[in-house]
Amino acid sequence: MSKKIGIVCLLFALFAGAMAQENATKGKLGRGVALHDVIIYGKRPLKEIGTQKTAFDSTQLKENISLSMADVLTYNSSIFVKNYGRATLSTVSFRGTSPSHTQVTWNGMRINNPMLGMTDFSMIPSYFIDDASLLHGTSSVNETGGGLGGLVRMTTKPANADGFGLQYIQGVGSFNSFDEFLRLTYGNRHWQVSTRAVLSTSPNNYTYRNHDKKENIYDENMNIIDQYYPIEENKSGAYQDFHFLQEAYYNTGTGHRLGLNAWYIQSKRELPLLTTDYADNTAFENVQREQTFRGVLSWDFLRSQYKVAAKAGYIYTYMAYDYKRDVGNGIMANMTESRSKVNTAYAQAEGEYYWGKERLFSANLAFYQHFVETKDKNIIKIEGGNAIVGYKKARPELTGSLSVKWQPIDRLGMSVVVREEMYGSEWSPIIPAFFIDGVLWERINLMAKASVSRNYRFPTLNDMYFLPGGNPNLKKENGWTYDAGLSFAVGRENLYTLSGSATWFDSYINDWIIWLPTTKGFFSPRNIKDVHAYGVELKANASFCLAKNWTLTLDGSFSWTPSINNGDPLSPADQSVGKQLPYVPEYSANVTGRISYKTFSFLYKWCYYSERYTMSSNDITLTGKLPTYFMSNIAIEKNLLFSFADFSIKFNINNLFNEEYLSVLSRPMPGINFQLFLGITPKWR
Amino acid sequence: MEWDYGYQEDFTAPTSGLFVINEGNFQYGNATLSFYDPLTHQVENEVFFRANAMKLGDVAQSMLIRGNVGWVVVNNSHVVFAINTTTFKEVGRITNLTSPRYMHFVSDTKAYITQLWDNRIFIVNPKTYQITGHIQCPNMTMESGSTEQMVQKGKYVYVNCWSYQNRILKIDTETDQIVGELQVGVQPTSLALDAYGKLWTVTDGGYEGSPYGYEAPSLYRIDPETFTIEKKFMFAMGDSPSEVQLNGDKTKLYWINDAIWSMPVTAETIPVDPFLPAQNTIYYGLTVCPTSDDVYIADAIDYVQQGKIYRYSSDGKLLDEFYAGIIPGAFCWK
Repeated sequence: MSKKIGIVCLLFALFAGAMAQENATKGKLGRGVALHDVIIYGKRPLKEIGTQKTAFDSTQLKENISLSMADVLTYNSSIFVKNYGRATLSTVSFRGTSPSHTQVTWNGMRINNPMLGMTDFSMIPSYFIDDASLLHGTSSVNETGGGLGGLVRMTTKPANADGFGLQYIQGVGSFNSFDEFLRLTYGNRHWQVSTRAVLSTSPNNYTYRNHDKKENIYDENMNIIDQYYPIEENKSGAYQDFHFLQEAYYNTGTGHRLGLNAWYIQSKRELPLLTTDYADNTAFENVQREQTFRGVLSWDFLRSQYKVAAKAGYIYTYMAYDYKRDVGNGIMANMTESRSKVNTAYAQAEGEYYWGKERLFSANLAFYQHFVETKDKNIIKIEGGNAIVGYKKARPELTGSLSVKWQPIDRLGMSVVVREEMYGSEWSPIIPAFFIDGVLWERINLMAKASVSRNYRFPTLNDMYFLPGGNPNLKKENGWTYDAGLSFAVGRENLYTLSGSATWFDSYINDWIIWLPTTKGFFSPRNIKDVHAYGVELKANASFCLAKNWTLTLDGSFSWTPSINNGDPLSPADQSVGKQLPYVPEYSANVTGRISYKTFSFLYKWCYYSERYTMSSNDITLTGKLPTYFMSNIAIEKNLLFSFADFSIKFNINNLFNEEYLSVLSRPMPGINFQLFLGITPKWR
Repeated sequence: MEWDYGYQEDFTAPTSGLFVINEGNFQYGNATLSFYDPLTHQVENEVFFRANAMKLGDVAQSMLIRGNVGWVVVNNSHVVFAINTTTFKEVGRITNLTSPRYMHFVSDTKAYITQLWDNRIFIVNPKTYQITGHIQCPNMTMESGSTEQMVQKGKYVYVNCWSYQNRILKIDTETDQIVGELQVGVQPTSLALDAYGKLWTVTDGGYEGSPYGYEAPSLYRIDPETFTIEKKFMFAMGDSPSEVQLNGDKTKLYWINDAIWSMPVTAETIPVDPFLPAQNTIYYGLTVCPTSDDVYIADAIDYVQQGKIYRYSSDGKLLDEFYAGIIPGAFCWK
């Protein structure tokens, strides 16, 4: 029997997209504030026994239509986002692991690129995600294998519409950036249909002072008479991203639910020049184009005691990279013309059975079949004629799990998961995970959690087959992860809620795969490092009703993540053993504060990353510095409510203190910049 | 974030010494230049940055000295910096290059710069830092273009073509035209001219699965007069020989093939034992002092930390060792 403490507080004043989005589906916009239930269960869901999870609410996900999931994760979670610039590759990693150790699912389907292993979060608009959560470390084994760091789970949900709805938001920002969002919804008792589209464009030519180079001033004899650090534009950084998402859900009302999700991406992005590049950007073309389709069909059948579900999906990704230069006559000649195609078929079946209210049995089997074709270079053969350097491979992947979750008494829960994976013809050893949690003090919902798992990650297709350098003899990365933590939640109706957690984790990853140069002039992956990643994650949330119609919420997290190379020295000269891995910050933190009064709200976001090393030896040199940085953004929003339509107006200031900072060496980031968003939600009745 | 840029150090380098060109990591712009004084055993790292208060760039490839000016080729920064070899301060730069690899002086007012991903060798005027022309290379597209190291004998400059190539090109420096080409094995990596006027190159043999071919690498001795192969020394399949270098009087050849190897240029067979065996090292760069014949070997270690330079006497005795920058790949003697 669940014990519902039931704290109801007036929370979360309307927030630009969030409420507009919410109410587009309802056909009307509520005045003033929204009621938000914070419900704390003495008896938590069996499914979540012992798991370390960070969930994102719609306020965080829908805060700004121009945000990618990379931005959301930067300001709202403890994981590290490595950002190569505005609208360029952004990867995420948990707890000192690498981006390919982060598994990513969308509506249950794994979307990690099978060639690269990682996912570019700058290509996922947060406005297309209705529900997102992080499963840290061990907890990812509940969903899939290979998440040595963890798993990012993203889903879309039925719009809950009644009749037709429409929402349109226009965003205008610095650097001639334009963002447009349109959503159409329709719903009745059985059907929920939603169409979403986002178009983002910008020349992205922000200026910055380039500290890495100098401009010379010469006299008539070509002697340098002066030098200065130039104010430069971000050259070759333009982008145009279009996303389209079609969803349809049908609920028979008899326990059957059918769903269709189809997401199409068309992106064209120039790749910005490094700060140390002296090329004339008009003489070069450096462009990446991508077309991706992801589709999932789903069926769920729910009964009080059990659930069965099946999914089928398909992913198509076409990526083209062109590096050209003007050979002097205005003709752009190809230096590199790289193409890749990935076709992935996906099928999944799962079942859950509740034996009483204390036991849950579940089984899950997912199958992926990848077909990959890459073309990286066109060469002239010795015997004449042309040849393509690339590879064409197919690989089936299978992952299945069985789990038992048991709550013998209200205050104690345990869970065992056993998973098995197959990549190609190779099977992983059994992947076991064990979770336990218990309520220590009901009054403040003080709960203790612990878990342990072994996990494996198979090499990617590029790791094994890329030409040149692919290494088919790579071993699987493998590791043990241990988690333990405490959490609490308290509150008083209409006054405040307060919750927090502290988690200690400890991971050992062996046979870490890294790409290293070879004496033949190309890179090749090898199993090199044994890494010990450990540390502490702290999270806190507080909400206060300050006065009538006034609310204040604060969210924050802090991470301490030493990630230490524990391998044997490569040679007596090797200084990397016992040192922090490059590009992994030892400390990071973020805080979000939001104050709202009726239809007005103010948001302040702050994040911090400690200094990151760029060398495995942790030497800090003049050319290898990535100093600590702090970033602050603010947003002000007002909603205007009329009988025929609701309007929202929002103003953002990003990089409030105009900080000059880098996330990656030689990749400049924009200074202070501004965005204005106008939204309209017509009322049809 | 605090930037401590702007401070320029004043250096007065000795009249002779060794520059170490540290590639840095591709796309990270962390190439550096080190200077080592063999007499005092003192090394100064990041001398370009410290003297100029700016970065050297992305992937420093090579360097050569003419007079008191050093020319540092920075491949992925598309630039060649000219620096004063005593103060390390920049005196000029050549830009608008495709992907520069090596530079060779024909005269005070003419130099060649080879390129990767370009089927042209750039002709520049070092006095004005201007590109003055191109040498079009035959049977090469932009995409498969690769010209590398250059040596000169008489009025001819010889160039090895490496990436997806198998040729040595012969350039007439009076007409700036390719006047001959010689086919060798798959992917010749380096080029040297010995005391007897013979060319030496070593191929890497390509890689398994390469549509261009994969074969056992070989060391070639070439007669530049007849432009024919005189001698071919074969290595085992899968070997990765590179960095053909000569000692001071150019009578002894050195190269890297996992270990460090050497033999007289008159030898008829490759020696059985190396000059220096590999010791869990990743030998990446090699040079021989033109005056002392000391052998300098660069170990890149894991490629993401400061590489180490070992200095050996010509009879294989360790004389000194020091850390330089990330991926020390090339040397230049002052």
